[in-house]
Formats: sequence, structure tokens, C-alpha cells
Amino acid sequence: MPETSMAHDLGLLLPEIALLLTAIAALTAGMLRRDGWALPVTLVGLAIAFGLSVPLVGTQTSIFEGTFRVDALSIWAKLILLPATALVAVLALPEVRGTDREATVFSLLSFTTLGALALAGAGDLMFLVLGLLLSGFGAFALVAYPRTDRATEAAMKYFVFGVVSGAVMTYGLTFWFGATGSTLLSDAQPLGDARLAGMASLLAVLVGLGYKAGLAPFHFWAPDAYEGAPLAVAAYLSVVTKIGAIFGLAQVAISLAPVGVGWRPAVATVAIISMTFGNLAALRQINVVRLLAYSSIAQAGYFLVGLVGAGTSLLALRSLIVFAAAYGAMNIGIFAVVAQAGRDIDAFAGLGRSRPWIGASAVIFLLSLVGVPPLAGFFGKLLLFGAAIDVGYTWLAVAAIVNSVLSLAVYLRIIVPMYQQPGIERPVSVEPTFVWSSALVLTIGLGLGAQVLIGGIL
Amino acid sequence: MVPLVSIMVFLPLAGALVLVALRGASPRQAHLVGLIASGLTLLAALGIWMRGVDGGFAQVEEVAWIPSLGAAYRVGVDGVSLPLVLLTGVLFVAALLFSLKMDERVGAYVALFLLLETACLGVFVALDLVLFYVFWEVTLVAMYFIIAGWGHEDRQRAALTFFLYTLLGSLPLLLAILSLYLGSQPHTFDMRALIAAPPLAGLTATLTLVALLIAFAVKTPVFPFHTWLPAAHVEAPTAGSVVLAGVLLKLGTYGLIRFALQMTPDALRSAAPVVAVFAVFSALYGAFVALAQTDLKRMVAYTSVNHMGYVVLAVAVAAAASREVVRSVALDGAVLQMVSHGIVTGALFLLVGMLQDRAATRDMAQFGGLLRVTPVLGWFFIMAAFASLGLPGLAHFPAEFQIFLGTFGVWPIALVVLLGILITAGLYLRAIQATFLGAVPDRWLTMPGLTRSDIWSVAPLLVLTLVIGIAPWWLLDLIHATVERITS
Repeated sequence: MPETSMAHDLGLLLPEIALLLTAIAALTAGMLRRDGWALPVTLVGLAIAFGLSVPLVGTQTSIFEGTFRVDALSIWAKLILLPATALVAVLALPEVRGTDREATVFSLLSFTTLGALALAGAGDLMFLVLGLLLSGFGAFALVAYPRTDRATEAAMKYFVFGVVSGAVMTYGLTFWFGATGSTLLSDAQPLGDARLAGMASLLAVLVGLGYKAGLAPFHFWAPDAYEGAPLAVAAYLSVVTKIGAIFGLAQVAISLAPVGVGWRPAVATVAIISMTFGNLAALRQINVVRLLAYSSIAQAGYFLVGLVGAGTSLLALRSLIVFAAAYGAMNIGIFAVVAQAGRDIDAFAGLGRSRPWIGASAVIFLLSLVGVPPLAGFFGKLLLFGAAIDVGYTWLAVAAIVNSVLSLAVYLRIIVPMYQQPGIERPVSVEPTFVWSSALVLTIGLGLGAQVLIGGIL
Repeated sequence: MVPLVSIMVFLPLAGALVLVALRGASPRQAHLVGLIASGLTLLAALGIWMRGVDGGFAQVEEVAWIPSLGAAYRVGVDGVSLPLVLLTGVLFVAALLFSLKMDERVGAYVALFLLLETACLGVFVALDLVLFYVFWEVTLVAMYFIIAGWGHEDRQRAALTFFLYTLLGSLPLLLAILSLYLGSQPHTFDMRALIAAPPLAGLTATLTLVALLIAFAVKTPVFPFHTWLPAAHVEAPTAGSVVLAGVLLKLGTYGLIRFALQMTPDALRSAAPVVAVFAVFSALYGAFVALAQTDLKRMVAYTSVNHMGYVVLAVAVAAAASREVVRSVALDGAVLQMVSHGIVTGALFLLVGMLQDRAATRDMAQFGGLLRVTPVLGWFFIMAAFASLGLPGLAHFPAEFQIFLGTFGVWPIALVVLLGILITAGLYLRAIQATFLGAVPDRWLTMPGLTRSDIWSVAPLLVLTLVIGIAPWWLLDLIHATVERITS
């Protein structure tokens, strides 16, 4: 039985509380007309929240009467998403420095991450809705902050899709509540007998979280939003909110595993659609940000390959967490390279020769996204495929493998021109360099040192 | 005890890192680093050989890596891997010696070759499935950049085909590895454990074997998975072709022995006739297509399909034969053939490369009478060609003889494959005649002879060809000690 004392529960929620205070502090810095302080305050706050999360590793409990879970998924979500948010914040600095929204942007980043963490630890339908809203509204504002036409259009699309999918999810969840008489995910047992309500609930969760995770066919907002948004925000959407939503879906899957409402075939179907569509569409892009948007749709599909094993295979949780850490590092890394090189695929021509280190890092990020060992992405995929095979979904692993080859063709479209011709000299700036080099260390380090992650899970 | 195996594997990588650190190194310095690193690696390989192996996995080095998953850094050698390790050591030195004349972005070129050497050695000595796969994939990446960066005219397309195709081939290997892992109790990636007690049975074993066969058939390559090979070879720089044919193709047949034969033995036994049919067809197909080529490099590339077909046939024989002696004769032949093919084809690609450097063409119809202009190149080529067509006294003969002997003991009908020998004899004689005999076209009269580094790169390979051809025991004893354990 989880303990119910309020103090004990709040103690387990300290990282989230620290994050909330960080967001408020950054906002306060802005109100005091000290925008320059917002980033340092945010970084310190994120570091404190991270430090408070570390001792929790190994905890397996739930708080507030089971509505919020403090388990491997939710703890590792903090350990992955807090540093990811910090890297994105640094990446955003050159774009927002000196504008009147500087502090707001950093504050919104913390708020939105809080929403992603609410999703990752959701033990209750209300937390799913809350997480979706919290991460949604912050993200809309982040997309829109430059006040350009493109950003406004992007935010509008993101917003409309968000509201509609949120409504579909809320409507579907009423069936869940109706059939089970409870909003707790762990009370899902009656769904097994109520076929229609089970299907409606499943659909609701897939639409709502699928939208947030950028899974096809709920992805329509993503390419436009990524392209229109500031680069750092695109990186943020592709990593933080995506991983939050996928972990939330995993929490639902774990609860549904003993119930059997046919969620595995449904998740597997979405996985295949997402991987295949994402990679095929990415093959045709000439704008690197759009290419990465479609590639991140495909990557979301890979997550689901491992998610299929949730609740049954021991590898499932490990695979999701390892791949999330890997994906966070390599995707933020490649976005930081884009921040340095430019959004057009032609801007990459000769980059490998004029800037060998940036070029080599880009190659490493992209090969890690393909799943080439010994990089971090490989270990993630190894476990994802293992989890799927473990629960008898070998065909899904085969589909994922075919897609990995397809994705190589996608990423080679960036890699090939980098070395084809002599490059032009271009200036480098500090912030992206810091971000891609940190991501590079993580992409290689989490590969060779995968034990640190895997050993810390369960 | 000095961890000699690990030192050997990572020496080239250390060389590559030195080159990365010395970004401004002159071409001379870069070549020097490359030769020192690969030379020391060869010495380390010889040191491992001197220490000796007893048939089982010897000189095993083990360090914990991902204990939660049962994966560890485990390396070691036996009589199947050590000959290939030695071959790798020799061929990389030869390839880098040949490359001394290269002056375009030398630092990156040499660094990639050294990275490739680490990866190839790593595949041969890895005793852990994850580690094996790591090295296996790194070979693809390094080779891709070598072809894409320093290849000939149509290199981008060839490199792309090579990368996509071989990745498509290597991902089934990942599935098979996962299947072996999930089938073992307790779950482990330790290849020694999986070889000692093959974990799979029934349909799972068959499906795993199919995945393994696809993966290794692409690499070897076996018809119909060979289509990446001619393009990659033709476009790759000469040293790249040497390594590609000499070492990378062996990864496929090595995997066939290490995985298919040793970890899914029962499944391979049932599938052996099918594998043999593919192997025979592939060997004959390679020979016939080689016969149709006028481009010398393409011709040599296709004879590889022929020679590697024999190796696959021998593994199938070793899996199917009921008598132990037949099994071990065939498998001895298979391993020896891998070494022989590496040395002979390595020499042939070097010689064709030297010809191309001098003439800027590889079309045999444009040549004639070159034996009088560049006699050393001519005689070297003739000797390597004779070795390749299986002349007794040269490296391929003892290997192919054992392979055919073993085949006769199981499927006498499969000896139609001997037709391949006739065809390769014909095509090499035709190539020698067209290129080196007859009248010399005027424009080749001034063709320069071989340089010192040319001779140093190819002569040792020809000496080895002769040594293995006349006295193969020193190698066969090493191989046989392990083969005996595998086949009994």
C-alpha cells in the first residue's frame, strides 16, 4: 500500500516542485526587468531538480492515492528531460537574447517540461489530461513567440490540432470512466469486458498522446510547426514533449497489459504507419527541419515497437528509457548542427570539409539515429527490437529493421553533400557548439556506457 | 599476461586517433602513422600466433560491459579466427603500402583505413554477440566513407548502394542475435556459451538461420545478393578493393561458420542442401559473369563470387556430412580457402590498380604485350592469375582440393561446380593473353615500371601464395585443431 501522508508524497514530488519554482523564478526575473538572469536561473533550477531526482532512482511507488507514479518511467523521464530542457534553453539563447520575451521563453520551457513529466508519471486519467494541457499551452506559446507570420501560422496549426485531439481524448476517456467507474489507470480491469468502451478508451488515448508524440496518423501539425517555430523550439517539441507523451502511453500500456483490450495490435499498427510514413516522407524533403520533423515521426514509431512489450517483457521499460535518452541526445545534437549550418539541405554542402568537427558530429548523430553501433541509438534500438520479439511481435521488429534501412537513405541525403565538395568557411557561434558537443559526448558515452542507464532501471 | 588481442584490435584505432589529433599532418607523416600502426598490428597478430592456440578459444580477455544484459567485452582467438586475423594484418599493410602515392586528404584516408582495420579484427576476435555486431557495423561505415571519398567516377552511387545493401543485410543479423539471446537460458550474449549449448530448436532455429543466411549471403556475397559487389569494387579505390575482397567478404563466411554452423547446427544441417544449391549456382554464376567482362577489375570482382561460392559450399558440406572426416576436410578447406582468396585476390586487385594508375583504363581490349613493357607487373599478374585459377603449387589448390574432396563425399552431383575451375582458367588465360601478350599498342610503350612501394606491397602476398601452395601444413595444423572440435 502506498503511504498516504501528504509530506511523504510531496517529498517524492520534490523534482517537480523545484521545476515549478524554476519556471516562476524565470518569470519573476522577467518581471524585474532582469531578463539576462532568466537563463542562469533556469539552468540552476533544472540542475537542482535533476539533483533531487537522482536519489529517487530505484523507487517504485505511487503517490496521491495512486494518481501519480514514481516509478522507473517517471524518474528516468526527469533524468532525461531535465538535461534535454537545459540544452534546448542554451540553444534558444541566441534567438531570444535581448528580445522582450527572453524570460518568458525560459519560463515556458520549464512549465512545458513540467507537463511532459506529468504525462510520464500519469497514474490517472486526470493526469493524462492535465499533462496534455500543461505541455500543450506552453508549447503553443513557445512556437508562436517570434511573432512572425510563419511562427503564428505554425502555432495556429499546432493549437487547432491540439484542441481537437484533446477533445477527442477527453470524450473517449469518458467511456473509460463510465466502464470502470474510476479515473485510476490501475482500475482498468472492467475495460476487458466492455468491448466498445475499451476500444473507445484506447482510441482516445492513442489520439491524444499520439498527437503530442507526433505519431502518424496524428502528426499533421508537426512538419509545419517545426518549420515555422524557432529551431530550439522545434528541437524541444521533437524531444521533450514527445518523450513525455510516449512515456504516458507506456503508463497506460502497463496498466492495460493484464486487461487485454487489444492494445498491442493497435500500438503495433500505429508504430508501422508512423515509421514507414515518416521515413518515406522524409526522403522527399529539401528543408532539413522538415526532414527532421518527418524523421522524428518515424523515431516515435520506433518507440512504439518497444512499447508493445510493456507490462510483459522485462526489456520493454529498459528499451523505452535507453532509447529516450539516446534519442534526446542525438536529436538535440542534430538540431544544434542545423542551427549552425542552416535549414536548407544545400547549406550542408561541404560542411564536413570546412568544419570537420561539426561534420563528424552530424554524421555521428545521424548514424546514431539509424541505429549504427556503438552509438547510443543502437543500444536503444537493440532493446526495442528485443522487447517486441520477446512478446512475439517479431514481424514488427522486422518492419522496424526495414525502416532503419530506409532511414539510412534519408540521413545520407544530409551526409553525402557534406563531403562531396569543398565547403565555404562559415562563422561558428558559442551556444550551438556547446549544445552539439554535449550531445556528442552523450551520444557516444551513452552508447559505450549503456550499463549506466540499463543498470539503473529496475 | 599482456592483453595482446585487445592491443592488436585497438592499435589501428589508436593510430587513427593520432591522425585526428594531428590535423595538420603532412601526407608523408600520415602515411608513416598508418604504416607504423598497421605494422605493429601485424606484429601483435604474429605475437598472438606465437603464443599459440589449442583448438578452443584461447587468449580470452573479458571485461564487464553491460552486465544487466549479459553483454561483455569478450575477445579471443581460435583456429578459425586466427588465420583470418593474420590475413587482415597482412592485407592492411599491403593496402597502405600501395596507398603511399596517394596525396589527396591523406590523413582522413589513412584514419578510415585504420578504423576499418580495427573493425575487421574486432569482428574476427569478438566472442560476444553485441561486440561482434558493433564491429560488424563499423566496417560498413568506414568502407562507405572510403568508397564515397576516394572512389572513382561514379563513387557516390556505388557507396550508397554498398551502404544501403549491406545494412539491409546486417539487420537480419541483429534479429538473429536477439533471437539467440532471448532463446538462451539465462539470457546471454556470450558466444562461447551459445556455441557450447546451441539454444534454439524447431521453427525458431530455422527462422534464425534464415536471418543469418541472408545477412551472411549479402556479405559473402552469394547469388542473388551479390549485386552490390561489382559496383562497389569498380568504384572503390584500389586499396579499398583489396580490403573489401580480401577481408570484408570473409566476414560473411566467417559468420557462416561461427553463427550458422556453430550456433544453429541442427537447422543448418536440414537446410544444407538448399545452401549448397545456392553456393554451386553462385560459384558457376560468378565464373560465367567474370568470363563476360572486359574490365579487369570487374572480372576479378566476379571471380570473388566464384571463389566465395566454394567456401559456402564447403560449410554446407561440413554441416550435412555424416562422417566426421568429410566434415573436417570440407571445413579445413573452407577456412584455408578464405585465407588463400584474401591473399590472391588482394594481389590481383593491387596489380590491376597498378595497371590502372599507369594507363587510366582497365579495359583489357586496350592493352596488349605489356609483358615486354612492364615485365615485373606482367609476371606478377600471371602468377596471381594462375593461383586464382587453382594451379597446383599455389595457394588456392590445397584449399579447393579439400573442398571438392569433401563435396564428393556428400553430394557427388555438386561437383558440377568443377566447371567453374575450367571457366576461371579460360578467363584468366584470355585476360593474360589480351593484356600481356601480343603486340604492344604504341601509347603503352613508355609505361613506367613498378615502383618500390608497389613491389613491397604485392611481393609478400605472392610469396605467401607460393608458401601456402607448396606447404600449407603450418596453416592447416592451426585450422585443423579447431575444426576437429567443431566437427566432432
